Formats: sequence, C-alpha cells, structure tokens
Amino acid sequence: MIELVHGRVRLALTERNSATSGLPLLLLHELGATSDSWGDGRDPAIVWDGPVFALDFSGHGSSGPVRGGAYTPELLAGDADAALRHIGTAAIAGLGVGAYVALLLAGGRPDSVPAALLGPGRGLLGGGAVPDPARTKLAFAREKPAVEGYSPDPRVAFLDFDIRPSEYAEVFAEAASHLILLEDDGERPPWWTAVRPTSASVSGGLGEGLRCLAERCRA
Amino acid sequence: MLPERQAFVESVGLRINVVEWGDPDGFPVVLCHGMFDHALGFAVVAPILAERFRVVAIDARGHGDSDWADAYNWPLDILDIVHVLEWIDRPCFVVGHSKGGGQATDAASSAPDRVRKVVNIDGFGPPPLAESQEPTPERFREFLKARHSAAEVKSWRSYQDFEQLVERRGSQNPRLNADWLRFFAYHGAREVDGEWCWKSDPHMAFTFGPWRPEWIAPGYRALQVPMLAITGSEPDTWGPLPAEILDPRLAMIRDVRRVTIDGAGHFVHMEKPRETAKAILEFLAA
Repeated sequence: MIELVHGRVRLALTERNSATSGLPLLLLHELGATSDSWGDGRDPAIVWDGPVFALDFSGHGSSGPVRGGAYTPELLAGDADAALRHIGTAAIAGLGVGAYVALLLAGGRPDSVPAALLGPGRGLLGGGAVPDPARTKLAFAREKPAVEGYSPDPRVAFLDFDIRPSEYAEVFAEAASHLILLEDDGERPPWWTAVRPTSASVSGGLGEGLRCLAERCRA
Repeated sequence: MLPERQAFVESVGLRINVVEWGDPDGFPVVLCHGMFDHALGFAVVAPILAERFRVVAIDARGHGDSDWADAYNWPLDILDIVHVLEWIDRPCFVVGHSKGGGQATDAASSAPDRVRKVVNIDGFGPPPLAESQEPTPERFREFLKARHSAAEVKSWRSYQDFEQLVERRGSQNPRLNADWLRFFAYHGAREVDGEWCWKSDPHMAFTFGPWRPEWIAPGYRALQVPMLAITGSEPDTWGPLPAEILDPRLAMIRDVRRVTIDGAGHFVHMEKPRETAKAILEFLAA
C-alpha cells in the first residue's frame, strides 16, 4: 500500500498488478465502497495492459476521515489528484461518485488524463442539479444517528446531497481530453445527460467499458 | 464586555465553542459571526441584548476557539448552528452577520421548529459572479494546487508585533477605534513563539464548487419565520449590495422588515452597537 497525504488527510493507494510498462489506470470507487470492492468481479487489473492503481477516497477503506465531515466531490478530486501526482499521466475509471470525480479531474487535468471512463454506482446522483431545502433537511436528519452501511466514516453520506449543476459539468466535460460514458438502463442524473453530447458511450458492462477506454488511450 | 459562561457543543466530531451573556433561563438569542471573525465580535452588542435575553454567541468551526476541520463547506456550517440550537433545546431567535447572516437564515429554514425569528445583518451574499470568478477547470486547477500544498499551510501570516496585526485588521474596519480593534484582535489571535497570528484556519480559503449567488433568492422562499434585514448606510470593503441586487433577493422572503443603520458600513453591529441592538430588540419584541 502506498500512503499519500492530501491536506491533513492520509490516503491509501493500492497497486493492483505488477505491470511496469504501459499507460497506468487509476480506479475511483463508488460511494461507501473501497479499492477492494471495485466493479462487478472483473478485476480491471486483468484486462488493463499497464499498471493499475486503486485509491481509497478519504473516509473510505484504509484512508483517513475528513475531520468535520465536509465531504465534497471537489475534495475527493483533490484525493485523486494526489494519486495522479504519484502515478503520473493515467487513464481514470470511476464508478458512482468516482465517476463524477473522474469528470472533474479529467476536465481539470486534461494533460494528465488522456481519457476517463464514467460508470454508474452509488453516489452518482448527488443532491440534484439545483438546491432543494427539503433535501438539505434530509441530509441533516441523516447525520444523527450515523448512517448505516458506510464505513469507516458514515459522514461520507453527505456526498448524496451535494449540488451538481448541468452547466458546471458541461464545462468540465468540454475541457476533458476524452470521456466515455458506461450506459445501462439505470437512472442517470442531469449532469450525466449534460455531458453526453461531448462524450462517447459504451454499453455491455465494465469489462467492455475498460476495453473501450484502453482502445481510446492507444489511439 | 467578556462573556459570563462558556461551553463546547459537539457537532460532527468537532467542538464548537459557544459563549454566553445574560439570564440562563431567558429566551435564547443565538449570534453567528462572519467569515474570519469570531464570537467576541459581538462583545458590545451582546450585553445590550442580554438585558432582555440569554445571548449565545457561536465560534464557527475553524474560527475563534472552535476546532479546525480538515475541509469546509456551507452545509456543515449550517449543521453546526442547528446542533447548537438542539443543544439549547428551546425555541430561539437567531442573529447573524455577513456570512453568519446567510447561515443564520439557512439554519432557520433548516430547523423551523427551533427558530422563531431571524435577524440578518448585511449577510445577503455576494453579487452575481464576475467572469473572473466562474468555477472553471482552470480555477479548479488552482484549487487542486492549493490543496496539494495545504499540508504545509499551518497558520495565517504571523506578525512580530501585535500592533501590526491590529493595524492589518483596522484596514478592513476603518470606522472602529483602536481600543476596540485591539480587543477584537487579542481574542481572535494567539501568540506562538513570540509572534501573533489569527486563530482561524487558513484552510478555509481552499474551497471550490458549483455554488452561485443566484441560488440565494430561491433559498429565501424556504424561510418560514420573519426576518429583520439590517444594512449600513455607508459603502465599505464589503457591501451593502446595490438595491437592484438586494431588493429582488429580499422580495422572496414572505415576512421581511428592513432597517438601515446610519453611519455604519458592513460591520454594523461593531460600528453602531447601540443602534443595532435597538433595532434588534424592537423587532424581537414585536
């Protein structure tokens, strides 16, 4: 395990294979998951022709919590940026909240992220495209007692409530080098719909998405 | 006047410092300060209010004697206020200045069963974003760069001489006298290795997100209790907003009364504490 530091938080980055050549791949997990619980059983390390790294976001897995609970996708993008600084140029695959973080980082660091695969999962929706006071109250109500099912820090559940406007997502999608959206029949938030015109699409599951991502990076 | 009581309130794993004046059994008035201020910024106005009320002033997370967090965002500041309201465990009046005014308003919307009235002192948000303030990928890179170096940032710039720190603050508060500024700075700063620096957490400056001032007015629709909106008559380093921006925002509030304090700038309660307290007391009594 590689230990990184972002602000005052210690982060865990794991190497998933022993490849020493090829373009690295950085995996960003869904909300409440860890680097160990990635995807649907098809380990990306098997299908990716290069080093594969998986990050535990702050408040998840072996990474430390954000003291005070102010979890935001932008803060998690800072976690992923710390991983990129260690790895160097890398493709990114993100699920759920990790997909939204992948969008932000692909738009913010197009020179370091040649392509990103965005897939569904927990934390994909966030709190909607516009503020809703009723949802804020719901977020506060869920703070006590602590939400079940998220560990080690249940307050990562605040990432179900941050606002993700369509126009905000669009400017990051336009700045990104290449985005691939992993489509299925599941619900998609407005930000996802907004970035479709500037992204490629793939269906057929995570394995197919990763093959598409690898092809794009070779092109 | 210094507070009569002090306590820490637990909120999301942090200790939030609260200080009090007045009868502990009185009807509570909760005070929320602005960005980079602290609870004792109310040290003149609070004792006047305390002649009628139990006054509870909050040090927001990362400010004054409250704990620092690893990161900051608006909803968690609101949640801290809601937790103080729960700790008081009685209906309250809530008063806030600047950023604290906006947060007092949102806390009143989020906990309508715990707030009877809200007073917002020039906390109606910034004007619409200038092009140079838009949350673009370029500015996101600056945020990432700042976050990368955040671990090295331990405190604000320190001053060898306490009077230098007072002078720096005085540039933001040109209407305040030197004695008041020294009091405010003494309680808002600490001496470390013979140098003085503000107690507030420099990491509060490292934020980035999609928030827009256009979200303020629709949020006011959720306010279910009366608001007193106080502004100063004088232009200042911050505010007051021009009428063409402020009026449409306040028009979204179902029950709002407006008061302008003559001769005050943005820091209305510090510059004109008696006049500010009089306006607040009249509103709370109505």
